[in-house]
Amino acid sequence: MFCLLAPAKAQSLVADLSTREVAISTGFTGAELLLFGATEGFGDIVVTVAGPRRDEIIRRKERVAGIWVNGTSVTFEKAPAYYRTAASKPLNEIASPEILSKLQVGSDRIDLFTRSQRSAASIRTFRDAFIRNKKKQALYSEDISNIKIIRGRLFRSTIPFPVNVPIGTYQVIVHLFKNGQHVSSQKTPLTVHKVGLESQIYDFAHDHAPWYGVIAIVIALMAGWLAGVIFRRA
Amino acid sequence: MQIYLPIAEMSLNALMLLGLGGMVGVLSGMFGVGGGFLMTPLLIFIGVPPAVAVGTEANQVVAASVSGALAHWRRGNVDIRMGVVLMIGGFIGSTLGVWLFTFLRGIGQIDLVIAVSYVLFLGIVGVLMVVESARAWFRSRNPSAPRRKLHYHNWLHGLPFKMRFRRSKLYISALLPLGVGVFVGILAAIMGVGGGFVMVPAMIYLLGMPTSIVVGTSLFQIVFVTANVTFLQSVNNQTVDIVLAMLLVVGSVIGAQIGARVGSKLRGEEVRIALGLIVLAVCVRVAWTLVVTPDDLYSLGLGGGH
Repeated sequence: MFCLLAPAKAQSLVADLSTREVAISTGFTGAELLLFGATEGFGDIVVTVAGPRRDEIIRRKERVAGIWVNGTSVTFEKAPAYYRTAASKPLNEIASPEILSKLQVGSDRIDLFTRSQRSAASIRTFRDAFIRNKKKQALYSEDISNIKIIRGRLFRSTIPFPVNVPIGTYQVIVHLFKNGQHVSSQKTPLTVHKVGLESQIYDFAHDHAPWYGVIAIVIALMAGWLAGVIFRRA
Repeated sequence: MQIYLPIAEMSLNALMLLGLGGMVGVLSGMFGVGGGFLMTPLLIFIGVPPAVAVGTEANQVVAASVSGALAHWRRGNVDIRMGVVLMIGGFIGSTLGVWLFTFLRGIGQIDLVIAVSYVLFLGIVGVLMVVESARAWFRSRNPSAPRRKLHYHNWLHGLPFKMRFRRSKLYISALLPLGVGVFVGILAAIMGVGGGFVMVPAMIYLLGMPTSIVVGTSLFQIVFVTANVTFLQSVNNQTVDIVLAMLLVVGSVIGAQIGARVGSKLRGEEVRIALGLIVLAVCVRVAWTLVVTPDDLYSLGLGGGH
């Protein structure tokens, strides 16, 4: 760990991840990465992790003739599929809301863009529902006690990824604050991808869809035929 | 033993999936049905996205029906001419069905349509099965009661494009089996089923086919139609999970053998009443998800795909 302290003098903040890639393989049930680093002197640390951006739809159910039906919806364009905030203490004790908004820290403050023509209040409701549902799927999270600072210099934090973690490129940003002011940031990219047979099947299904269909049929035909042969003998 | 399903994008216990396949396999072997109409709702209950459950089930039904179809083929229990007409209808219907499925998925209503279709068909088929087999059961106790006629002549038999189906000993309009095929094809695409539970009664009561060749011809048609659904779902929606399908296939072929042995020892009417009650139970369970107020009225859906 001492080797990390040397560059810290020059940059005031260094951090790295236990690994820069999360591999989804056959037995994948989620993963947890370790983020560690060092700062020059005392300060507050905030870590944000933003996943790949894509259009996300949030729908509201309405009762029609006694049954619940998806009704109005709002699309948030290029919303992060995964978003996590971790901090060394409650965010409002670290910096002012203006500074936090500017840095896009905290799921309440991230920009979610929509072309929807609905009223601001209605969009706010959909936005809250979006974040609530994302949190329920463990794709959005906030953890203010997650960062441990050791002797005012070294810090460590864990980044959990649930089993449904979306694949793509993630940005891990470590912010250092001192006395309510933002001092510096460090960005580290991270990729989540599928490996082995799972990734090949997934890629093949998307890149060569007609062939995937044909192979699925052939495998099923052979399996059915084989079962017939085996059990006729038995 | 957790296994990651590449298309469903979730981890499930492989042994549980084998068990689920086995359980539905036992029922399908016992009752001589495909089991798709039980498997798809069960997959949805354990959290598989409905679109993936339907696409994958179509693939599983290909495997489940091919050995039966081959066995009937060898015994000469397939009316090929009838099967081909049904199949053409099935191709038209399933192509329409997958197109409709893709459209409904785009506007966020596919889960609802799948659930409503299940409630409707399981409800109708379940009630008919229980009533019909209860009647047969009473009749077997009281042999003097009058029997019903198997099929009636009506306006359907006046339709044009008459065709001779020698094996079925029928001279009827080709539009009839074609229409049945189209209808079952749409069901196959939207519900992820073979459609035997609709086609077999339609062939007996509507077309008037002899019972001995109904099952073989129906299975023959199901193989081709579910293969078409598998292909089109793969191309349009990428919702066929080969890993999930294979686990279910392994479980269900073994289960079907056990079920067939158990089924042959049971009385026909009682077996049909039991199946009817299972069908109704699944129907009620699906209906419940539609009427009960959800914990959160809002739900996530993907916009432009991944």
